[in-house]
Amino acid sequence: MLRGAIIGFGRMGLTHFSILNNHPEVNFVAVCDPSSFLMKNISKYADIETFQDYRKMIDKMDLDFVIVATPTGAHAENVKYAIEKGLHVFVEKPFSLNSTQGRELVDLVGGKDIVNQVGYVVRFNDVFLEVKKLLDAGALGDLITFKMEMHGPTLLKDAKSGWRSKKKEGGGCLYDFASHSIDLINYLVGVPDEITGSVLQSIHSVDVEDAISSTFLYKNNLRGNLLVNWSEPSYRKPAYKMEIFGRKGKIVADLHAYKVFFRDEPELDGFNQGWNQCYVTDFVEPVRFYVRGFEFTRQLDHFIACIVNKSANKVCSFADGLKTDTVIERIVEDAAKRRF
Amino acid sequence: MDRIIFGDNQFFGINHMSEEKAQAQSERFKDLDSVIKVIDTAYDCGIHAFMFNTHERVGQLCDHFRANPEKYSDLRLYPSMPYAHKYANAVNEKGMVGALNEFVFAGRSAGQALKTIVRGGLSVINQDMIQVMKLLVDAEMRMFHGLNVKAIFLQNIVTDLLLGMGVKEVFVGFSDHIKKTYGVDAAFNSMNMPKLVDFLIDSGIENPIVCSSINKAGYLMQPSIGEYEKTLEEKTFRPMAMSILASGAVPPKEAVEYVAGNKNIKSIVFGASSKNHIQQTKDLIDQYTN
Repeated sequence: MLRGAIIGFGRMGLTHFSILNNHPEVNFVAVCDPSSFLMKNISKYADIETFQDYRKMIDKMDLDFVIVATPTGAHAENVKYAIEKGLHVFVEKPFSLNSTQGRELVDLVGGKDIVNQVGYVVRFNDVFLEVKKLLDAGALGDLITFKMEMHGPTLLKDAKSGWRSKKKEGGGCLYDFASHSIDLINYLVGVPDEITGSVLQSIHSVDVEDAISSTFLYKNNLRGNLLVNWSEPSYRKPAYKMEIFGRKGKIVADLHAYKVFFRDEPELDGFNQGWNQCYVTDFVEPVRFYVRGFEFTRQLDHFIACIVNKSANKVCSFADGLKTDTVIERIVEDAAKRRF
Repeated sequence: MDRIIFGDNQFFGINHMSEEKAQAQSERFKDLDSVIKVIDTAYDCGIHAFMFNTHERVGQLCDHFRANPEKYSDLRLYPSMPYAHKYANAVNEKGMVGALNEFVFAGRSAGQALKTIVRGGLSVINQDMIQVMKLLVDAEMRMFHGLNVKAIFLQNIVTDLLLGMGVKEVFVGFSDHIKKTYGVDAAFNSMNMPKLVDFLIDSGIENPIVCSSINKAGYLMQPSIGEYEKTLEEKTFRPMAMSILASGAVPPKEAVEYVAGNKNIKSIVFGASSKNHIQQTKDLIDQYTN
């Protein structure tokens, strides 16, 4: 049994705890959060030790792994301490506040047998797993354009309190929300060679942006557009829409379904020339235990499997998290060039 | 327990199959009249039991039911709470404690708020999760006052989150509170039915009502359709089936045949938007039930 602990017991910390608490290989022994309300209740109702200082928890509890689900600004120090103690680490997205911090952490895990993962959960979504397979099989031929859109009703009023409204702590639409779609672009079509035309707009927020648009250019002649808005009241919950156009066809995907168009008869089994509509019910497999979505369980079970099997994480490592942080930084730099 | 219960996901743009369909539905049902029209269609088809999420708009729907007592004289409601996105957005905006305050005290006068504080045993100060839960339940139930409620459901995200955490006291506290305050049984929605049934029985909640996806495709059935069938066969509980069409993956006839063919399943929850679909599904259920 692996001895695990959680640092940061907010919405994601709770979700991760719930999902892994009944994993056959996991024994959660401690949680840590500055909120006395939460810690008092957890220690009252669950058989687990609670801490308000993560260093004390790590020093005392003889852990195998930690889940870091604190506000982004605290990730780097939490993760660094855990790595130095030799623990496997899962950290929520985005990885860190800036690429200098992130690179230090990537260097720190280098050469060590430490499983490291960043919580870009959409990589584990059933539809995008299928899209990745199609792209890796070269189904669309040379890629020419893509469009990644992400909309949601996450912030509909100026949030004056809380870390999400503060740039310094990793708040704002770009880090907290758009990072998912940027990571998905990196994962599916690669890290852009040039970033241009970036615009950051505030709708309700004062200190941070609520909407982002940017153009990604690639040396192989691929061009993509990113359009994100987290102050979109017409949506019930965050929604992704990705369109990828290549010489042989086109994919249109969201979290629940995708359709693919093939210009000619494709060589892939199960697909025909023209439009092919595919729903998640066609290919989804149940998970061990479900909270909030298949992908949440799948990402954590992947992390645990890497620890148990002593294999390196190839899906969403710290190095991948750093790539996304770096693209975010380049968007900010590009947007700063605007003169009006 | 009603054999057929009409669900409400379609009214709020909830569709597990397609974001496009969900969006189209939320456009179609943007005004209350279009929702009422579908409800009346179901009611006229002989379906008098409805499961409602505690969405803000359901409050308006309840006002409509209260304003027309004769028309809805045989109405039976199965509220499901909380409507989680309402909380998630409030927590983002105001933090955990701010959101709690908003929901517990929303729409209350100073006097009522004081009563709430007294009844809650100053739970915000005591910081007891179960006391806070009771206050939230009462806040959510306010919209249903004066209506005929048959059972009160804990919605699946919360049920499954708490199930994973393994906190029996919250389930027992919820059940006791519902029974004592509203005189009906507590019930639970879940995506992990076999695990939940074992857990509830272990917690001392006898013959629990559990609503879960049950469909021939095995969709949204964790950990497997086999475990579901085994639990249905072996355990003593009151199972309700939802998502019987697996978001469209199973044709209606096959879907109903599978669910109604299992004699242990007491109730079937389904949602639809057109008279044809409502009538067709009801007829199929009636046909396979008898």
